Amino acid sequence: MIEIRKPAWDTVLDHLRAAYPKEGCGLLLGVEANGERVAHIAIPSANTYEGEQKDRFLLDPRTQLAAERQAREEGLDVLGIFHSHPDCDAYFSSTDIANTWSYYSNLVVSIRGREYAGAAVFRVDDERTQATREEFRIEGVR
Amino acid sequence: MAKILIPTALRQYAAQQASVEIGGATVADLLRSLTTQHADLRKHLYNDEGKLRSFVNVYVNDEDIRYLSKESTPVADADTVSIVPSIAGGR
Repeated sequence: MIEIRKPAWDTVLDHLRAAYPKEGCGLLLGVEANGERVAHIAIPSANTYEGEQKDRFLLDPRTQLAAERQAREEGLDVLGIFHSHPDCDAYFSSTDIANTWSYYSNLVVSIRGREYAGAAVFRVDDERTQATREEFRIEGVR
Repeated sequence: MAKILIPTALRQYAAQQASVEIGGATVADLLRSLTTQHADLRKHLYNDEGKLRSFVNVYVNDEDIRYLSKESTPVADADTVSIVPSIAGGR
């Protein structure tokens, strides 16, 4: 279970709508206690995939490095990753599964015509072969 | 001793440690010692041929070792080595 606080959610949506029609991406920082995660901060990243970005993304490793540093300084963890599926459903593809890490909550947001069209969160197994949905809620959104 | 920073995603393979202090002259020395101490980490950082996986980025302070001397990059006691696992995806 992960709760995404409203300021973090607003940052996610602003970034992913701005990135449309390309895939946007970034990191979620927060705390975990007793299996419950709360994401307080979203950090947008450039999509550094060298190719067609409307259906691929690669997080900028320098943004990851800075995010890890910020998390340490603020007593937070890098809990997860977010990325968009422009004009496509919020599912977790085989490419997504193979290129993340089991610790992360992976927030996928569907953006259609630059507007929010749904979201889902996934976790992968240690071998990165299959994904399962993680329950999530957005602060202030039912 | 240089400090290796373990990212959140890899701490589960390193006894939940956020950082480890290890002695060594190069990045290769440090990573070898680290993965000897934490065998679970080895398969995530190295491929079956014993090469550092392409999706594992390593920084000495703020410099990517790909633009230095790769795994032969020298490390001094005051240096901080960061492991940054790539994250990607697509439809």
